[in-house]
Amino acid sequence: MGEHKDRNIECVLAILQKKNPASTKEIMAMRDLFPKLCAGCASGGDVVLAGKSLVEKGIVERKWSSIGFIWELVSDPGYEK
Amino acid sequence: MKNNKGVKMVVWSRIRKDFPVLNQLYEGKNLIYFDSACMALKPVQVWNAMEYYYKYLGACGGAGRSTHCLGLETSLLTEEARKKMTSFINASDVNEIIWTRNATEGLNIIAATIPLKKEQNIVTTTLEHHSGMLPFLKRSKEVGSEFRLVRAKNDGTFDIADFEKQIDDNTKIVSFVHASNLTGTIAPLKEIIEIAHDHGALVVSDEAQYAPHAKLDVKNLDTDFSVLSIHKACGPTGVGVLYGKYDLLEELDMFLVGGDVIEDVIYENGQITAKYLPPPQKFEAGLQNYGGMMGASAAVDYLQNIGMDNIRQREQVFSKKLLEGILEIDKFDVLGPLDYKQRTALVSFRPKSAEINHNDIAEYFNDMLPQHKILMRAGNMCVHPFQYQIGMSPAKGEGIIRASLYIYNTINEIEIFLSALEDFAKIIE
Repeated sequence: MGEHKDRNIECVLAILQKKNPASTKEIMAMRDLFPKLCAGCASGGDVVLAGKSLVEKGIVERKWSSIGFIWELVSDPGYEK
Repeated sequence: MKNNKGVKMVVWSRIRKDFPVLNQLYEGKNLIYFDSACMALKPVQVWNAMEYYYKYLGACGGAGRSTHCLGLETSLLTEEARKKMTSFINASDVNEIIWTRNATEGLNIIAATIPLKKEQNIVTTTLEHHSGMLPFLKRSKEVGSEFRLVRAKNDGTFDIADFEKQIDDNTKIVSFVHASNLTGTIAPLKEIIEIAHDHGALVVSDEAQYAPHAKLDVKNLDTDFSVLSIHKACGPTGVGVLYGKYDLLEELDMFLVGGDVIEDVIYENGQITAKYLPPPQKFEAGLQNYGGMMGASAAVDYLQNIGMDNIRQREQVFSKKLLEGILEIDKFDVLGPLDYKQRTALVSFRPKSAEINHNDIAEYFNDMLPQHKILMRAGNMCVHPFQYQIGMSPAKGEGIIRASLYIYNTINEIEIFLSALEDFAKIIE
């Protein structure tokens, strides 16, 4: 896993530790709080990819709703907070 | 096969079979690939050509390199590829074709090497891909020359009078996108080139989104430079073409130097003197992507066998169906002109109600449909300035979803997509 993706994974975790659960739109809006972690293009694709990889690891669950996907931190990621 | 008017007929269902990626189930679902403006899929003919190089040749090509049998065949096939590319865009001479990694590299070569004085200006537009804008912005800042923008109209079209206002006798070069990757707009390139030439300015046309979809004739357009990305034309990644009129290429400075660009490097009296080769070699430093060139050759053969006019005609049918279908649902704003004839077969859209992030919409179609995965791109498509112009804010996470079609798509796929989009509109209401 490359450094860029690692940083975005940390970004999603940092946001969800502040607001859990959160919609994609909310996560995008909170990226500014963690400028060193939330890297990549303004369009936010990197953050979504990072979120999907956390879902694959079982650390985050993703559910569909009428306002888009809701992301929820469901287990201790094992990262230092 | 030809019809009763002598026009070659294409059996599109056979074309689709050349793309095995579309004939598989992915995670148990059928794939509908609507992301060709980013990356076109590759037919078997292209990977066969590349496989031949990697399996049976694998050697150096190019003048002055290995002259053994494998090197010789590699050189012959890459020379053939250059000839095919010359024919594909109707250039005058094979030496006007320079291999690059992609259109972005071609634009950077032009921006970095064109002679530019402080009192001269560069003109481009608000609808450019960042690759057609930023290399020229960077160069103008380095030289201290003026960087001028023609503002596209908010519907993604242009007013020719705006070019007449911005281009003057001090304009050195106009960088212009022939077909937009965001709005699909096909611009009046020939008229813009005439205005530029009337003022003695040069034009570089970004053909990344045009050349794969319609016949590009650089001679007829009289464009000075053009750039293409082969990966959008059924070819391999990492291969692009920079076209330039030969006398202009001769005037450009070197971009990269090293092996393969020199006639000799003389060491005499403690001094080094380099004697460089003429174009195109002077722009192709180092070992080249020989397998990629052979794949590119097969890709343009493939497209030309179908016929670029047939492709354009087919895509207009797609464009009409897709554009009118999305507009009819009436829940989405569409970027770009509302006349399908002014477009390539791509539509960028976003919900009128902005409660949902664009990435979620693309992901919904990728993951949430019961039988299909409809693959589209979400984001800002590297055309941020135009989105700021029309009141969107990429910085605040606003973006669009883009459906972009190509030769292997079908009307049935558009119908499946429109039906799913209509259902989706109800969900988010």
